[in-house]
Amino acid sequence: MSVSPPPLTYPPAIESAIGQIASLLRGEYALGERTLALLLLQEDAEIWELVQQQESPHTLQRIRAIVQSLQSQLEQPLDWAIEQQRQQLSQQISQQVMQISKPTRPNTLAEWVGWLCMNPWTGFPILALVLYFGLYQFVGVFGAGTVVGWIEEDLFGAIINPAVESFVRGVIPWAPLQELLVGEYGVWTLGMTYAIALILPIVTFFFLVFAIMEDTGYLPRLAMLIDRAFKALGLNGRAVIPIVLGFGCDTMATVVTRVLETPRERILTTFLLTLTIPCSAQLGVVMALLAQYPYGLLLWAGVLVSVFLVAGWIAARVLPGTPMPFYMELPPMRLPSLSNVLLKTFARLHWYFLEVLPLFLLASVLIWIGQLTGLFELALRAIAPITALLGLPEQASVAFLFGFFRRDYGAAGLYDLQQEGVLTGNQVLVTAVVLTLFVPCVAQFLVSIKERGWKTALAMFGIALSVAVLVGFSVGRILQVLGVNLG
Amino acid sequence: MSRAPRRQGAHTPTVLIVGNPNVGKSVLFHRLTGRYVTVSNYPGTTVEIERGTMRHKGHRYTVVDAPGLYSLMPITEEERVARRMLFHEPPDLVLHVVDAKNLSRSLSLTLQLVEAGLEVVLVLNMMDELERAGLQIDTERLAQQLGIPVVPTVCVSGEGIEALKELIHERLSAPTYLSARD
Repeated sequence: MSVSPPPLTYPPAIESAIGQIASLLRGEYALGERTLALLLLQEDAEIWELVQQQESPHTLQRIRAIVQSLQSQLEQPLDWAIEQQRQQLSQQISQQVMQISKPTRPNTLAEWVGWLCMNPWTGFPILALVLYFGLYQFVGVFGAGTVVGWIEEDLFGAIINPAVESFVRGVIPWAPLQELLVGEYGVWTLGMTYAIALILPIVTFFFLVFAIMEDTGYLPRLAMLIDRAFKALGLNGRAVIPIVLGFGCDTMATVVTRVLETPRERILTTFLLTLTIPCSAQLGVVMALLAQYPYGLLLWAGVLVSVFLVAGWIAARVLPGTPMPFYMELPPMRLPSLSNVLLKTFARLHWYFLEVLPLFLLASVLIWIGQLTGLFELALRAIAPITALLGLPEQASVAFLFGFFRRDYGAAGLYDLQQEGVLTGNQVLVTAVVLTLFVPCVAQFLVSIKERGWKTALAMFGIALSVAVLVGFSVGRILQVLGVNLG
Repeated sequence: MSRAPRRQGAHTPTVLIVGNPNVGKSVLFHRLTGRYVTVSNYPGTTVEIERGTMRHKGHRYTVVDAPGLYSLMPITEEERVARRMLFHEPPDLVLHVVDAKNLSRSLSLTLQLVEAGLEVVLVLNMMDELERAGLQIDTERLAQQLGIPVVPTVCVSGEGIEALKELIHERLSAPTYLSARD
């Protein structure tokens, strides 16, 4: 059978350019000449390369001249003119063949809910509710608090780890090797315990909430709601996915930046994740530290939001390139199917474990090496001046350094300092700000290297460190100058 | 300019499934191929491609599930791969799967595929949801307008799959197919 002639004709200027290009081409191509000519007119890099292999330099020059002259003739961009023609014909055809068989209800409940989620006036309050109940109450208080308490303290702390420890110490006589496996920062006692008893429950709850957000159709609407704000940061609504995930685990979110379209957006998002988005472990630490100081908690949130906006705004202007337009399909709002939500959660957990668990184990090994070789002592001495600059007591250095490897340990150290009355309210706030702004953890740093390369990851590390110290210092000074005392 | 000759003879005819994400492409793929499926990365990329065999009336056809594609001007890596699959090794038949509810937005790609000189069949999927939304599509008239066959389906329940298989078979096994192609 013969292919029917294309039903699609473009404005005369474009058609004539297509004709001219088609008559110039001599090579053998697998695609139709109209398409080939159109893609050349739209300056598609891959197609140009294809044509360059087969045509003479003279022909290429003439094609370039045709493209240029066409562009100067048209008032709108060529892409747009071509796409508009296609849309028009599509609409025309579908209007002819589509009939309404029965009157549709214009406003179903689901449509209403969907609209409320995207309208800025109602959308942001809804977002606040979702964050409070979904993230704070369910993931934070219940998942990271209650469930982690059971698993980490009651199961691992009281039953499993003592058994593993006594077994290893009985079988392996050499002390450093014992340390590597079951010491304070051992592969089992830190790496495995941390991954299974702490991170696993938190991310499980988080992925559950995330899957529900996706399957109800809320996430794409959130992306639409936030799109405009993100434009100012050189991102588009699509970046909502890794950013929201970052509240669960920045390491995972850094991996998920793969969903973004351009390297530029991936770098921007990774940077914002590294610097500003607190992961669930960090949130837990900060909540515990600032629980006594409600105003401190508000100030902390305010500082983070400001840094997020300012850093994003600057980064978007410093990095070369232009923001990508944003298209996302809006599926209808609906009740999610439970099996699908569970399946998704499970699939993500599985993947997360394969990607992230090795990094936790590696972190244990690094700490072991650091302690064995005395590198940690050096690092502590290097941090001491920074801690002093921030107006914090010396013991805080230990918490900062270990917090990079094991969040909860750093937190516990700080918590003790606070209980002993070594830290004032202001110092607690400064500590919380610095801890959140600095690189979340060693696993996230390693993933950044893997995803973005050495140079970019190190640059981000340096910037995050500088910004953390600078902002922490400023917050401390401003409070001091204003005479504010958090108690 | 001349068209590169397509591979013929001993080669099993290839059917490529294209369309936007979330229109039921992979469900259709599994409906057509059943359990004879292999997964591989497209050369030089991390994009996974599923390839399977459809059997119908004693004939075998290779069915390939292309990554999501919105337009022939690609934005994402997945789209670039899908386009390469269309352009570098043109399939014998392209199934463009669309969500029947979004016909007007989907037809732009159909038009582009036809324009590219590909052998296209338009698969109107999710016809059940279309009906539930209170809409109907005159498929015969649509086929006339586009100059290509149009098959309505509900891939999740299997409705329309046999008709589609028969159409693929008709298109690719008929002796006229090999001789009449230009």
